[in-house]
Amino acid sequence: MKSIKKIILFTLSVSLFLSCKKDEVTIKEPVKAETVKDLAADPTTISGTGQPVASGKFTFYNFKNGIVPNADSTTNKWDVAFRGTTILTNGGSSGIGQGGAVVLNGIFDEIKEIPASSTFAQDSKTVLAIPTGSSKGWYNYDAPTNIISPIAGKVLLIRTGDGKYAKMEILNYYKGSPAKPDANSVARHYTFRFAYQPDGSLKFN
Amino acid sequence: MRNLLKIITTLCITNTYAQDKVVLDSVSHKNLEEVVVTATRNERKLGTLPMPVTLISQKQIKSMGSLRLNDVLGEQTGLFIQNDHGQGVQIQGFSPDYTLILLDGEPLVGRTAGTLELSRLAVGNIKQIEIVKGPSSSLYGSEALAGVVNIITEKPNATNGSLSMRYGTNQTSDLAGSLSFRRDKLGLNLFVNRYQSNGYDFTPDVFGATVSPFQNYTFNPKLSYDFSSTLKFSISARYFTENQENNFLVGKDKVSGNGNVNDWNLNPVLRYSINEKIKATARFYTTQYRTNATLNYQKDAKVYDETFFIQNFQRPEIQIDYAMNTKHNFTFGVGKIWESVEATRYDDIKRFETIYGFMQYENTQFNHLNLTIGGRFDAHSAYQSQLSPKFSLAYELSPKITLRGSVGVGFKAPDFRQLYLNFTNAVAGYSVFGTQEITTGIARLQAEKQIAELLFDVNKLGELKAESSLAFNVGGTINLDNSLKININAFRNDIDNLIQTQAIARKTNGQNVFSYLNLNKAFTQGIESEISKQLSVNNQAFTVSVGYQFLEAKDKEIVEKLERGEVFRRNPETFQTVRVKPSEYEGIFNRSNHSGNFKIFYENSKSHVTASLRGIYRSRYGFADFNGNSIADTDDEFLQGFMTWNIAISKTFKEKYRLQTGIDNAFGFTNPERIPNLAGRLIWVSLGVNFEKKKKS
Repeated sequence: MKSIKKIILFTLSVSLFLSCKKDEVTIKEPVKAETVKDLAADPTTISGTGQPVASGKFTFYNFKNGIVPNADSTTNKWDVAFRGTTILTNGGSSGIGQGGAVVLNGIFDEIKEIPASSTFAQDSKTVLAIPTGSSKGWYNYDAPTNIISPIAGKVLLIRTGDGKYAKMEILNYYKGSPAKPDANSVARHYTFRFAYQPDGSLKFN
Repeated sequence: MRNLLKIITTLCITNTYAQDKVVLDSVSHKNLEEVVVTATRNERKLGTLPMPVTLISQKQIKSMGSLRLNDVLGEQTGLFIQNDHGQGVQIQGFSPDYTLILLDGEPLVGRTAGTLELSRLAVGNIKQIEIVKGPSSSLYGSEALAGVVNIITEKPNATNGSLSMRYGTNQTSDLAGSLSFRRDKLGLNLFVNRYQSNGYDFTPDVFGATVSPFQNYTFNPKLSYDFSSTLKFSISARYFTENQENNFLVGKDKVSGNGNVNDWNLNPVLRYSINEKIKATARFYTTQYRTNATLNYQKDAKVYDETFFIQNFQRPEIQIDYAMNTKHNFTFGVGKIWESVEATRYDDIKRFETIYGFMQYENTQFNHLNLTIGGRFDAHSAYQSQLSPKFSLAYELSPKITLRGSVGVGFKAPDFRQLYLNFTNAVAGYSVFGTQEITTGIARLQAEKQIAELLFDVNKLGELKAESSLAFNVGGTINLDNSLKININAFRNDIDNLIQTQAIARKTNGQNVFSYLNLNKAFTQGIESEISKQLSVNNQAFTVSVGYQFLEAKDKEIVEKLERGEVFRRNPETFQTVRVKPSEYEGIFNRSNHSGNFKIFYENSKSHVTASLRGIYRSRYGFADFNGNSIADTDDEFLQGFMTWNIAISKTFKEKYRLQTGIDNAFGFTNPERIPNLAGRLIWVSLGVNFEKKKKS
């Protein structure tokens, strides 16, 4: 652990030293991380009979432009789509785009680029690139309390509909991002963080 | 570690200094003569044994004023009472499932979700309790992985009787009587106990008590007959029955009913000394454990749940002890076990069979050296055969210092539940199947269109193997002339093939279908020490003791993940994610790194007064994983360390009548939410009377 830290420190100092020396190098702005709060993912309403009902519609999202109208669901204008705990990427069985995803163990800020070893999975009818199910993809489900909790250290690497790259991290699944969601919390509201690289490269800085 | 040694050394030194004036007490010599049977299946002096054994005497139990086995075990160094579907004992960091509980050498059965409820055992007729720490599967087979607790009851060696009554907080009462008769070749003995309590309720505004009212009865008759000095017969029986009310809420509906638990056993034993050197013992042990409960809705008296569980266990066994000469002792044994379970949660009667053989060789030929080698082979009808060897060595460095070490293998067979359970929770909607039932169970649910998604390939579950461990115990005893005694034992257990529950499929109702598989590896290690000191001045005798255990119990997979930096934690407010450092992993849930006790026992032989003060401490331990990284790593996932104090004082009048009073948990420490089995302050008073047949002069 300690030796890794040392190596990181060493490389950091070396790179700083180098970049200081070569003053002709233009420093590229790293892509900025953005946080989206309370993105509704088909929240339920209470019907006349008192049963919770959902519309069944996905919320489509583009990392550059934000929410995409449902009419554009058959284009490559969207990158990810949310409905309940399901997250689609725009590719494979879900869309006509080049989208795909990798679920990576790590810390969001530390991921400076898409690792070369990454193989992007695409959605298929049997399994999604971001798998659903407790502890299989991005969340844990606690049956006794009926609470969905995003798993810390799960970073979703996304290939967007038009073949660019982004990293994202789901932070909360309830409206208002309560620190301790309970039975009264309103589910199906995503709070997530992402960094999107518009130039098509695999790097985030 | 180093600090601990320092403390111990300092204590020794201080004690030696304080020593000079103390008169040598005869009690310390008596200690050397203490005899135990559990460690070798033969009567052996405690001091000479090469494995760590704790002995709790009747005198000590009486002085503590304990009623049930869990009360006694909970006060011992390195032992914790762990509450999981009953009160069981944790030894060397193992859950209660891994400790074999014996009554006069025969196993008790009836474990709910793995825990054998220790409060089923009254301690009123116990002669002594022997605890062997470390695996003893080499003699006892399955379950003896963390250790063995053997409860030795009184034998009919004299003609006498006793009666005692006790009453205390929560309208808890205990009535016990025993009668013993001995004439020449015939011995008879009967112990009867009635124990009842009104329980208690930490949440009076919610329907249903924390502990509901219950009462139970124990009958324990024995008969022994010596046909000759070489052929001896004995038969003992036990019957226990308990009734408890059950009241709780299901949603908004009140549900109530009665639950009954009972067990019985019968244990005829024939001992034959073929000659001076060879002894044969034949036993035929039969036992049954049975529960049933009916719960009805209060509103319309309709049945909410009706369950039963019957477990049968039968075991003939022959043991031959051969003392070649005083230097070489051999023990051989063979036996067969028939076990069956029939219950609401199983689709028909399930049966197991085991054939086993064991042998043990004790060598004392070399001066100051005791070498014990043993092993047992268990051939089982439902899982792989097991071979459990054990090697132990004791070396008497000097008359004051004995060193001991042992290496052994222990195992725990998959139980009926893990193999054959077929259960769907009617309220929560989840299902659990044993590994033998899962394929048909899933197929049935699929046919009923109840399966939404398969999560785990059933074919990958494979055949369930026994959980096993390799254990090392190294330690020693220092007995100083001035009646200062130090016991130290360091242990390491490497456990393989731990059986875990595994989600197999998601049902259309959102709940999961579970089964079992061998998955985890874990280790427990630590050091345990006990220092006791006896002081006697005139008629007064004090025993002061301090016990301490350092324990580390960890899941190996989690340790590896932590080292690879794959365990994370997110602050739910700032959303900051950090890696959990390996040092932040304090161990498996419900394991305290530090625990200890402080005890003073006092006896005045002139005024016939005894008293005891016992303080029991355990440091903080993880109880939950709120942040989903499967370990306890933030403060809210831990319970703070705590200490409880128990006091008892007694006086005997006219050699016959004994009045005793005490307070358990004197400072009333409670944690209703997290430790519901810890009742508050319990005050009690008891009166006992002893009858003794007058000796003819």
